[in-house]
Amino acid sequence: MNCSEWEREIAGESESAGLKEHLAGCDRCREFTQELDANRMALRELTVHPTAFDAVRRRVLDEIQAKRRRAMWWSWPVAAAICAAILCLVYLLPRPRTQGPAAPKLVRVPEKAVPVVAQVAQVKEIARHKMARRRPGTGTSADAARKSACATCEPLTVKMLTSDPDVIIIWLVDQKGDSL
Amino acid sequence: MADIRLKAEDGGQAEGLLERAKAGDLDAFDQLMQMHQKQVLSTALRLLGNMEDAQDAAQETFLRLYKSLNRLPDILEIKSWLYRVTVNVCNDAHRKRSRNRTEALSGPDPASTAPDPELMWLNQERGRLVEMALTTLPEKERAAVVLRDVEGLSTREVAGILGSSEVTVRSQICVARGKLKKFTDKYLRKRL
Repeated sequence: MNCSEWEREIAGESESAGLKEHLAGCDRCREFTQELDANRMALRELTVHPTAFDAVRRRVLDEIQAKRRRAMWWSWPVAAAICAAILCLVYLLPRPRTQGPAAPKLVRVPEKAVPVVAQVAQVKEIARHKMARRRPGTGTSADAARKSACATCEPLTVKMLTSDPDVIIIWLVDQKGDSL
Repeated sequence: MADIRLKAEDGGQAEGLLERAKAGDLDAFDQLMQMHQKQVLSTALRLLGNMEDAQDAAQETFLRLYKSLNRLPDILEIKSWLYRVTVNVCNDAHRKRSRNRTEALSGPDPASTAPDPELMWLNQERGRLVEMALTTLPEKERAAVVLRDVEGLSTREVAGILGSSEVTVRSQICVARGKLKKFTDKYLRKRL
């Protein structure tokens, strides 16, 4: 290994035992090592005046405060513009047609649904009673009396409900089931 | 990475500072900057070679820190985070400066465009000569040698900050040191 190669070892911070041995016997490489150390020390000894630090910090703080001021300056107009835009939207946008409180809905309460067949059966039952009472007495005088008596009676209302709740068949009958 | 983390006892206090800074307390952020100002400005100065650019870079680094406060999960990572951002900001500044200065692009030998080094020798300013030599290095080598030789970080820490492998960083440091020595020799030996 020649000195140029050892110099690369020295600059690369080699800690080999061979290098130490070589340095012990080589003036040129020892001088090379001292030169490197001198350069390193010279670099480290460069001092920075304290005012340079203060100046940097002052500049940084000034820049931050200036940015904050700019942010504040912008924030008010931006906030005002946003408010104005919201107001415009509220007043300019077409409003949905407002309706008052909903009117109460008339609900048809269906009467108790009675099957049509039952209604018809009820009517037939009345008619049967009427016939039964007619048979024993066949005299015309009795009939006339009965009719005159029935004329004073309240008529009955017969309602026939259908499957359609809107359709109700109503007719009036006398107490005996005769249609009036 | 443990070496460049804050010590545990400092961490508690710094954690409080970080929380206050996140909440918008500028005094707390100022204290955070004071804790790291030397690290940031010194590194930037070595990487860029002049105080004006270094102050600009440090300012940009701290402003990035302020913007990223809420994304920093751990106060203990702040030091390595600042190194990484400082290196990136300085690299950006260096590229911008190189584009603006045509002579830097066309100069065959960076040393030939430097001010008279004999004057520096007369003033015993070896440091300035090395500082000047630093600016002639490629950005990766420059960052590696500054973090290793000036900031005293380990090769592993430097690799973590630069996003490179340890082998690469060791090689970059080796080459950079050789170039620095060659640069200084060129002028110092003239004097001898």
